Amino acid sequence: MMFFFLFSVSGNASNPEFKKKKNSECLLRLRHEGLLNSCPAGVASCPASSCPFRSPRSPRLKLLESALLLGPRPTAGGMEFSELIRTGRAQAELLRGPGAPPLRGTLCVTGHHLLLSPGPQATSDLWLLLLRSVDSIEKRVAGDSGTITLRCKDLRVLQLDIEGVEATLDIARSIEALSSLESVITSFPFFYRPKGLRLGDAWHFHPPEHYYKRVARETNAWRLSEVNEDFSVCPSYPRAVIVPRAVDDDALARSARFRQGGRFPMLSYHHAPSGTVLLRSSQPLTGPQKRRCAEDEELLRAVLAGARPGARGFIVDTRSAQAAKQARMTGGGTEAKAAYPGWKRLHRPMERGRPLQESFVRLVEACGDLEQSMDRWLSRLEGCRWLAHVKEALSTACLAAQGMEREGACILVHGAEGTDSTLLVTSLAQLILDPLSRTMTGFQELVEREWIQAGHPFQLRCAHSAFSHARPKHEAPTFLLFLDCVWQLGRQFPLSLEFGEGLLLALFEHAYASPFGTFLCNSEKERCLCEVRTRTHSLWSGLNQPKEQRKLRNPLYVLNPLAIWPSVEPQSLRLWQGLFLRWTRPPEPSEAAWEKVWQIVTDKEKTEGSQPTVSASEPQP
Amino acid sequence: MSLLRGLLGMELIGISVRPFLDFQERLTLLDSALILDVPLGVISRIEKMGGATSRGENSYGLDITCKDMRNLRFALKQEGHSRRDMFEILTRHAFPLAHSLPIFAFLNEEKFNVDGWMVYNPVEEYRRQGLPNHHWRITFINKCYELCDTYPSLLVVPYRASDEDLRRVATFRSRNRIPVLSWIHPENKTVIVRCSQPLVGMSGKRNKDDEKYLDVIRETNRQISKLTIYDARPNVNAVANKATGGGYESDDAYHNAELFFLDIHNIHVMRESLKKVKDIVYPNVEESHWLSSLESTHWLEHIKLVLTGAIQVADKVSSGKSSVLVHCSDGWDRTAQLTSLAMLMLDSFYRSIEGFEILVQKEWISFGHKFASRIGHGDKNHADADRSPIFLQFIDCVWQMSKQFPTAFEFNEQFLITILDHLYSCRFGTFLYNCESARERQKVTERTVSLWSLINSNKDKFKNPFYTKEINRVLYPVASMRHLELWVNYYIRWNPRIKQQQPNPVEQRYLELLALRDEYIKRLEELQLANSAKLSDPSTSPSSPSQMMPHVQTHF
Repeated sequence: MMFFFLFSVSGNASNPEFKKKKNSECLLRLRHEGLLNSCPAGVASCPASSCPFRSPRSPRLKLLESALLLGPRPTAGGMEFSELIRTGRAQAELLRGPGAPPLRGTLCVTGHHLLLSPGPQATSDLWLLLLRSVDSIEKRVAGDSGTITLRCKDLRVLQLDIEGVEATLDIARSIEALSSLESVITSFPFFYRPKGLRLGDAWHFHPPEHYYKRVARETNAWRLSEVNEDFSVCPSYPRAVIVPRAVDDDALARSARFRQGGRFPMLSYHHAPSGTVLLRSSQPLTGPQKRRCAEDEELLRAVLAGARPGARGFIVDTRSAQAAKQARMTGGGTEAKAAYPGWKRLHRPMERGRPLQESFVRLVEACGDLEQSMDRWLSRLEGCRWLAHVKEALSTACLAAQGMEREGACILVHGAEGTDSTLLVTSLAQLILDPLSRTMTGFQELVEREWIQAGHPFQLRCAHSAFSHARPKHEAPTFLLFLDCVWQLGRQFPLSLEFGEGLLLALFEHAYASPFGTFLCNSEKERCLCEVRTRTHSLWSGLNQPKEQRKLRNPLYVLNPLAIWPSVEPQSLRLWQGLFLRWTRPPEPSEAAWEKVWQIVTDKEKTEGSQPTVSASEPQP
Repeated sequence: MSLLRGLLGMELIGISVRPFLDFQERLTLLDSALILDVPLGVISRIEKMGGATSRGENSYGLDITCKDMRNLRFALKQEGHSRRDMFEILTRHAFPLAHSLPIFAFLNEEKFNVDGWMVYNPVEEYRRQGLPNHHWRITFINKCYELCDTYPSLLVVPYRASDEDLRRVATFRSRNRIPVLSWIHPENKTVIVRCSQPLVGMSGKRNKDDEKYLDVIRETNRQISKLTIYDARPNVNAVANKATGGGYESDDAYHNAELFFLDIHNIHVMRESLKKVKDIVYPNVEESHWLSSLESTHWLEHIKLVLTGAIQVADKVSSGKSSVLVHCSDGWDRTAQLTSLAMLMLDSFYRSIEGFEILVQKEWISFGHKFASRIGHGDKNHADADRSPIFLQFIDCVWQMSKQFPTAFEFNEQFLITILDHLYSCRFGTFLYNCESARERQKVTERTVSLWSLINSNKDKFKNPFYTKEINRVLYPVASMRHLELWVNYYIRWNPRIKQQQPNPVEQRYLELLALRDEYIKRLEELQLANSAKLSDPSTSPSSPSQMMPHVQTHF
């Protein structure tokens, strides 16, 4: 109960009775939304013993924890938030862009949300925005009112017209302060307790052991190693990794020392039809002296030997040959030909980091620019280079997939750190080849295994979206690029993916700002330190609720056992309008067809479902 | 016919294929791997490439340019004189007009179980629109095409304008194409009227009868004080037309009208634009700068302007409650695009298969869009300045609309592509000749088959399974460059690197699901019947058909 009052310190409603009534009204609604089922104090005392990991607070971890500079834990009552909230409430009107009617009501800022509670006579519900999803905020005052423009990480642009200059400035400052909090464990997922979900559910859905079971059924050349059990060998890998059976843990540890960030080559996907594998790693630390590492060479030799006698391998380096060479000066480099017999290196330069983020920013700018003369739209779209990046990613993934499927070769993918474009290539290659990864659960498992547990640094990459004025540090829309490529696959093969655009949009939103814990932190190690798995809800359990299915599933899906080879011709790749023009285009006509398909599928399922009832009700002779 | 059937003794280098002209006047190449099927009507140009002394592979043979965005190149062996024969036979049959031969449609003896010529009956169509009424009458003044030789024989004009008035107005409109009704709004009774430019000329001539006539049109609808005139041309072009005797309605002369220019360019600009599109898609797609190359063709920009113009017309009539007069120069190209697209947006009837056929038949064919000149059926003069892809552009606009409103049209993409294929094929009489009077002289309806016979006898193939019939919904497509796309399945379908996904997999899957559902419902019914037969009192069964079926059928 204290939670809400503390955050609304200087409400400007003159009548205290009214204020009280309003507050209790809001509280009721909050409880209804599942936002206030437990207070911060309750969460802080969450028993750590329920952590599924063994020895979660081992001495070593404690040491690491201090090094990670985590934010302060919320004390009882969450005082840190209340200090940041300058004003609790104001009268405001919200403009949500085309299609949605404006909303009038009382605006409140709480620790994690911006709330707009329409007047008692209004028919519409409470409007709620996670403060974390605000990417940039712009305030303007004129006369005795002000306007705040919120640009969200999901590319939505919202405008709030607020009564009172002071209130406007205070609310703007509060939003600014609260939306840029960096501490993980005071973030909303640690407080979110939705109805119908239990903590800890679905976190065990996709552990490495689960995927290993599948690999073990197909081949016995691989084993599950716990060499990284305490994250000491590779801080960005999960606890368990799949490696060649012939290589022992000591060799792995030594290979890890030869690879940037300790990311030694590990199995990403076993392609049963050709008996070949897809591996990923980071660059070898050959350096200017062209150092070598016997264990690393042995590891890759064992990969080929495990596949088939005389098997070949390709190393797909996601940097240009020149960039790979240059990396030697800073201690990195690439596999020397002589040191890895049977392996051939291919360079497929892919954009990453800053240029990729800039491309994203330019594209969003172009899409939102409604005033500019549109005669130059196509060349502007081309100038953003986003579609060129989509093409690069898909063609490199096709190359890797082709190597496995058609050449019967093993593939190792890496760039520099092996946490960005590498994952893009390995995950897309699997979607192309593996029908299981195109199912609803298979795709969720793929995202979990190849992005989240593979150590894509979500917290760094998705700290800001395309609107932020903050100087970009580590932001890059690699994961969005992956989702875009998946969307292109779905457009070209409309029946072959079990999930629809809805799931991709949801993943984009949640990766940047989410009430769920799934995309928090940069690696499994950090997630373990923050006890994300025990103290937050998993996105997968949220998404897999029956009520969400209609939004996420592709009703036309039919299992396609073949590889799906996308066309990367320029005219085959399109701008993902559903994402980039989502908030500016009229949504209704394009959804009508989808609605029709759903109707037919539901009808069919209903008739299917009612059929056994009929037979069951037959009187037994 | 037997004359056409003979094989052309010709050997192609590399693969042994035997091109021959079959009884349908198509150039067909048969090979186990490759089937090439080209109606001869599609050919716009045949050239010999290489000479007796040419060396190197594929340097000697025939180069065939087609009207449908592709070129064919046949590499031949130099021995014998097979190329000369091939060239001659192809030229004779691809360009029959130059050889005093009949166009293939007159030889085609195909039979269909429906007669497409019956689809359009102007009296019925006007009756459907609620005409004649108090303000509008049907006139037969043009029965023998003496008032205007490029108009249909039956016209709808204001009740208060006498035949004499019409004749006087005709003298002031280019090629006598007087303002006549195209469409009337069922509720607010505003109208879309089409015509050609007024003959104002350099001296700024006026014509009292024309001014009065436009005022009479304005008065048929009493809701608004002004008549809106949309001149499809860019302002400068309209002014320039004064030099050749044309022009536009000035404010001084037409007090009760307001005029807007819609900035749509002329047939020559459109032809060049499409030529550029072909350059970037065939035979290879321009890869490195695809989007900016596409932009530099301006094709999508032209599409945008045509759609924007049509939206303005539709909006004026529907929301602005003002009658609209549309013209360009002669009133048979841009005017036809604008009136037909606006009608498609306003009137859901035209979004059905037969409705669309009627729309094409009415606004394009009967009102004298010069198909023969624009397409050049059977004419060897490929560089004729009269050629222009105006009708193709219209169909492209329709496709853009169908993309944005996937449930609004009864027909699918295949329907539009089929229409375009037969725009060139010369297999049907539908698109032959420039106007109704010429078609009547040639007895086209008696001597040829209609394209609609082909389509209507096999409608299922052309149906959009997502179609939901709606009445009175106005469609306003988004005519912004962001939302327009190049029609890849049409313009780039011949690119050898593009794998055709035909028929559309989504439509197919949807139909499968529909069939599955129907089957389930049928089985359910059978089970229920069996079930109720076994029970002595069916009303006690919780799943008796009478109770189950409404539940199942809620969504039909």
